[in-house]
Amino acid sequence: MRSSAPLLRVRDLTLTHADAAHPSPSDVSFDIAPGEVVLLLGPSGSGKSTLTLALNGLIPHALPATMTGTVEAGGIDSAHASTAALSTHVAMVFQDPDAQIVTGTVYDEVAFGPENLLLPLDEVSARAEDALRRVGLWQRRDENPDRLSGGGRQRLAIACALAMGSPLLVLDEPTANLDPQGIDDVYSALADVVAAGDRAILLVEHNLDAAMEFVTRTIVLDQAGTVAFDGPVDEILRGHTEELVAMGVWLPAATLTARMLRERGILSHDAPLPLTPEELAAALPAGGAHLQAGSTPVSQETAFSTDIRDLHRQLSQPPSDARPLIRARGLTVTRGRREILHSVDIDIEAGSLTAIVGANGAGKTTLIQALAGVVPPRKRQVDVDGLDPATASPRDLAARIGFVFQNPEHQFIAHTVFDELAHGLRLRHVSEAETAHRVRQMLGRFGLEHKADVHPFLLSGGEKRRLSVGTALITGPRVLALDEPTFGQDRARAAELLALLDALRREGTTIVIVTHDLQLVAEHATHTVVLADGRVHATGRTDDLFRDEHVFTTAGLRLPALQRVLAAHAGTTAS
Amino acid sequence: MSTTVVNPYASMVARSRREFLYAMNPLAKVAAVAPAMILLVFVRDLATPAAFLVLAYALILVGARLTWRLLLLLLIVIPVAMIVIGIGFSLWVDAALVDDTAPFLRIGGWTLFTGALEVGFATALRLGAIAALALVGGLTTSGPDLVRASIQQLRVPYRVGYTALAAFRFVPRFGHELSVIRAAHRVRGHHGGRGPFARIARGWGYIVPLLAGAIRHAERVALAMDARAFGAHPTRTERHLVPFRTRDVVFIVLLLAASATIFIVLFPWQPA
Repeated sequence: MRSSAPLLRVRDLTLTHADAAHPSPSDVSFDIAPGEVVLLLGPSGSGKSTLTLALNGLIPHALPATMTGTVEAGGIDSAHASTAALSTHVAMVFQDPDAQIVTGTVYDEVAFGPENLLLPLDEVSARAEDALRRVGLWQRRDENPDRLSGGGRQRLAIACALAMGSPLLVLDEPTANLDPQGIDDVYSALADVVAAGDRAILLVEHNLDAAMEFVTRTIVLDQAGTVAFDGPVDEILRGHTEELVAMGVWLPAATLTARMLRERGILSHDAPLPLTPEELAAALPAGGAHLQAGSTPVSQETAFSTDIRDLHRQLSQPPSDARPLIRARGLTVTRGRREILHSVDIDIEAGSLTAIVGANGAGKTTLIQALAGVVPPRKRQVDVDGLDPATASPRDLAARIGFVFQNPEHQFIAHTVFDELAHGLRLRHVSEAETAHRVRQMLGRFGLEHKADVHPFLLSGGEKRRLSVGTALITGPRVLALDEPTFGQDRARAAELLALLDALRREGTTIVIVTHDLQLVAEHATHTVVLADGRVHATGRTDDLFRDEHVFTTAGLRLPALQRVLAAHAGTTAS
Repeated sequence: MSTTVVNPYASMVARSRREFLYAMNPLAKVAAVAPAMILLVFVRDLATPAAFLVLAYALILVGARLTWRLLLLLLIVIPVAMIVIGIGFSLWVDAALVDDTAPFLRIGGWTLFTGALEVGFATALRLGAIAALALVGGLTTSGPDLVRASIQQLRVPYRVGYTALAAFRFVPRFGHELSVIRAAHRVRGHHGGRGPFARIARGWGYIVPLLAGAIRHAERVALAMDARAFGAHPTRTERHLVPFRTRDVVFIVLLLAASATIFIVLFPWQPA
């Protein structure tokens, strides 16, 4: 193949999913040349994922969708070649690492693709070794992939894609299911691949901050699924920022922050908008005084403290005597013979949005399940709005605290949306007329009026999530608890949920949420509880905690790049 | 997930010449014991299953690696299980069928006849012998090797074999998912009362979310396999050949001969 020939040639491509009314993407044309690192952006529903599935022939061969236009990979027309034949030209990495692993050892997994290609034995082992060394898993080649962390499994998926020997890698939201440590793992592996320069990459990603460091070009799809912009990444993001925001495209957090600072006159409109946290730090005024005006997402209400001792004093303070809505004293939870939570004391203020964060295995989910009575705690350790979850019946507890599981489908028990919402009221023997009235209200509140008679499983992803929140709220609890509600979701759906939670909080509902997305915590949570090894490591107002990176690093967490830079900036300007 | 007790994919390699079972072809281990296992279903005496139990134990103790877990299984778990089953069946046997045998135990008006004990322990020994024979191959064969041997010697299509292997990975995932669904339904207050019927109704409620998740997961796995050229060619490169050697034939012949000898000598079907 001549080096000037494009690796991928997409012409007038229009895809209509089997159950979609409108095509998306629609009439898309672009080429990808060797060495390019392309970021595919677009609002939710613009067809980014659908487009990636067409690049190696999964559409139209394996998935029901109508396709017009052409996709050529390595000169092969995807309409007339099998996915298997295309796999040597386009390799895929999908979102869920667990859904890509098919064998029992790391080495077998990487060899799986080359074996399918019927390559000779020495070629299979050469490729497997090369791919595993490139992602840093060679030492662990004999282990069961289950023993790898989420980030490790996704690195394995990248190695498997490399082993296919294709010059183009397509990655569809590869970090959406990962915790911050896993995201860092995957991006350091990807950065190495980019640095080697032998593969072109097409990346669909919402976590733009990490991607900005090596992406060279961006293609932006608009709501209708057509190409809105295509060009060098800094040119497009800086030159069309307002259009992109209006379209609902996600921008790097540093860019959004800088844009907000511009609006408030803190950053000059003449300077180019920063795309990375480092660029933002460089652009920030040296005095730091402006930041104290309280205009970053980190410190919406209070000024940056200049004295870290002050912060620690605050952290070690006994819980305030204002009566909290949820109160845990000496909460100890054991599973089997292992003690997971060790004498945890927590107060959750009425009207707050409290985030529980912590590294994997710190006991976050155990804590929220004990607080909400999902797994009843021991007696007299927890008090939720005057009720002890240890002894309360599910019926009474549901009237004090609503619990929303990570996957909404898990908690659906009725056959229609209406019955699903009515369930909690019927358990409480509310009259049928009153039930119907309150269910109608809830349907309206969550935009589900037309779906009342639909089976809950037939709703769209966003509707399922809204319904699960609605069922938790129908009995009028003052507290709503959510376990990792944004895990594995695309950014748009996560944003929709968070807007809903913000609205509920304004109406007076107290919200407790477990999450590993610290960017989300920084932007939405009023209070944060940091857990480490089953103990409360720090607790306090989010603004206060985020001023000191140390609080998080000592708990095995990493602040998002933006918060890290801002914390460092506050630190340097203070000294 | 990291706490999986048994790793079904762990490779099983002989560390010494004594541990010969690991080096046998997985199919040879199946073929050598399968006829005896099937015939054992139809015997009713004590001696025949006892003889096979001894044979299977001897094979495992000589030919497999002796870990504390293996010894626990062979020397404690299986014997205790046989005793429990034996006593259970003895009590369950219809006393009218065996009341011509000598009484073994009398409690008030109730008699336990030796005939009942004999029937009970024959059943227990039979189950124990069948289990022990299955363990000869089961303890010394890895899942992937069995699949490879099926593909290489039995000509099972590799698309079937490797898909089955991939599906095996679903099991722990579903176990976890089921426990989450149960907790979720409990929180919703979906109790539905006590008793077996309420329990069945509850179980039915778990199936829909479990299946919905399973189908979605299976579709994703299938796409990921397609994207890695699964099914591209009629065959695929086999890195591990699982050869069928002379010693496998010898192993099968020897075990079949031993089985036949036991059955002929003890012939368990002679009219009483």
